[in-house]
Amino acid sequence: MSRLLAVNNLRKYFPVRGGLLNRVISDFRAVDDVSFALQEGKTLGLVGESGSGKTTIGKCILRLLEPTAGQILYDGQDITHLKQRELRRLRSEIQMIYQAPAASLNGRMTVGQIIGEPLWIHESLKGDAARDRVLELMNVVGLKEEHYYRYPHEFSGGQQQRIGIARALAVQPRLIVLDEPTSALDVSVQAQILNLLQDLQDQFDLTYLFISHDLGVVRYMCDQVALLYLGKIVEVAATEVIFEAPKHPYTQALISAIPEPDPDMQREEIILRGELSSAYSPLTRRGGLRVGGCPFAPRCHADKLADCDTIPPPLIEVERRHEVACHLHPAMPIATPEPA
Amino acid sequence: MACAMFWIPARGVSGDMTDLLNIENLHLEFDTYDGVVKVLAGVDLQMRRGDVLGLVGETGCGKSMTALSVPRLIPMPPGRITAGRVSFKGEDILSKSESEMEAFRARHVGMIFQDPVTNLNPLFTIREQLVDAVLYQRAQGQKVPGRWRGFLPSVRQIRQEAHERAVELMRLTGIPDGDKRIFDYPHQFSGGMRQRVLIAMALAGDPDLLIADEPTTALDVTIQAQILRLIRSLVAQLGLTVLLITHNLGVVARSCERVAVMYSGRVIEESPVRELFNNPKHPYTRGLIAAVPQKDISRGGLEGIPGMIPNLINPPAGCRFHPRCGAVMDICRAAVPPTVAVGSEHTASCFLYPEDP
Repeated sequence: MSRLLAVNNLRKYFPVRGGLLNRVISDFRAVDDVSFALQEGKTLGLVGESGSGKTTIGKCILRLLEPTAGQILYDGQDITHLKQRELRRLRSEIQMIYQAPAASLNGRMTVGQIIGEPLWIHESLKGDAARDRVLELMNVVGLKEEHYYRYPHEFSGGQQQRIGIARALAVQPRLIVLDEPTSALDVSVQAQILNLLQDLQDQFDLTYLFISHDLGVVRYMCDQVALLYLGKIVEVAATEVIFEAPKHPYTQALISAIPEPDPDMQREEIILRGELSSAYSPLTRRGGLRVGGCPFAPRCHADKLADCDTIPPPLIEVERRHEVACHLHPAMPIATPEPA
Repeated sequence: MACAMFWIPARGVSGDMTDLLNIENLHLEFDTYDGVVKVLAGVDLQMRRGDVLGLVGETGCGKSMTALSVPRLIPMPPGRITAGRVSFKGEDILSKSESEMEAFRARHVGMIFQDPVTNLNPLFTIREQLVDAVLYQRAQGQKVPGRWRGFLPSVRQIRQEAHERAVELMRLTGIPDGDKRIFDYPHQFSGGMRQRVLIAMALAGDPDLLIADEPTTALDVTIQAQILRLIRSLVAQLGLTVLLITHNLGVVARSCERVAVMYSGRVIEESPVRELFNNPKHPYTRGLIAAVPQKDISRGGLEGIPGMIPNLINPPAGCRFHPRCGAVMDICRAAVPPTVAVGSEHTASCFLYPEDP
């Protein structure tokens, strides 16, 4: 099994302008030093609350956003600095499926045109050849032949998402970034789409980067989960490990907050104080001031150490294939106080 | 403070055993250019004082419309109630005049909505909006006869009291530093805090019934847990009756005592929470529970419900669920199933269960 995607020390800072001449006075650290790897044929879940940077990571991988720093390796090749022309070839390898199915489909194109467009762009397919491929793709995602000439608004949310999936599959990608693919859908339809995605993964040997805030869905879909908090990864491990033995206090709180549809379930409920603070860098005068230390420290429910407020915890491997960034973990090296 | 006492609306004390809210056989239609949309087709729902009832269903099943029909907030036209009764504390709501409805809404029903952003006016501070809510419910609370006017508190006094009440409401809903933050604008609050402000506003009239329409859908899961805990604590503190509308079965399992499941304009099953999850009767409820990704479902084990929500202009004849149902029989296509008791306090409307158990 090979490594299809590796992200090393990815950073994405957005400039914050202000002051007299509207200069860049600070930056918004949407993604701050994130590293992970994804094995071919597997699914990695990126989980976090809104504002934790999960979508930004997805867009950086497709180079829809330019990373500020760091390296993205796809199939061993550094794609961080590819030119636009070279990117086009990459687009047929990596595709994305979006959250809002209605907004991601052009309302003035028919289903046939939407799914056929990537075939024309990437393979110069048109006419009957393109039509046959489109119909085949529609069949694969469970759309009927008579839908070919219809417009997106004539479909329900679940079927619109199927159109989006067919469009992504058209260019035979190896990696698909799924950005909250089911969060706009009802549960019964969500189950259909999740099952479809799993079938397609088996059928076409796809690799998924699955972005979601719904831990229940992630538990069902993913082999491995990375939890993000304010642009940093706080814990990575195999799915069973994350759900059975979470190590980071944030992971523990998040898992305890999943509303399980089981009224008999007895468990300790950890209610976090406050809300996601701001990812503005320490330079920002307005907004939340974050001097250093663990980004989660202001909301942490565990007994904190002095280091928590001053030194950012590194992500270290505490067990085999289980990485945690928390000072409270016994395996964490005792940080030496910085020279004053 | 005697004046303040005078202003507190008198509360009719009705027996605890009677139904607070009683919706019977409610039919609601909407006129659209495509035809008549039959949104509600015979909704039956009872709530007793102190109930926390979850109303669950998918998009378009009519759960919000059922709730909106209680404070009569459905636009008519195009909406039209073609049959049925809604009574609150024994009073018929549908026959009230609009001015009676205004007093009714102010005193008896509080509502919170899904999106805390659009429900606050960005141009006014929280103080202005919250004080407005307090003053409005007061004005509606009791019409003061002219000869008492000389004894009335001054405007300044009223506003001061309303301000204090607003701060008190903010404290009640867990907003830290309410006395200072009340001067802030909505954009200075985070999503969870805005939802708390809306809950405070809904509680301004000290309502009997709180209708929460998807109160946590727009929030992150950790904030959702905070808001659900707040609602539960308000139920315990104030003895509120809550109608919680949600599509999330997990939220229901955590927060409610009873659940009513809606499908395509009808309540198809109703029972205490435990009973519903452990012993669901209606095929739709079973499908809905099986569609939620849970702990011990392995890869490929998730079951969806085949098909889609029916078109409400031409709904399927008979049981509206029959085209998607795995246990469909001939009678399902012909007749609407009656609601039958399938256990203690457990009802379902499905032909699988005989009428006399």
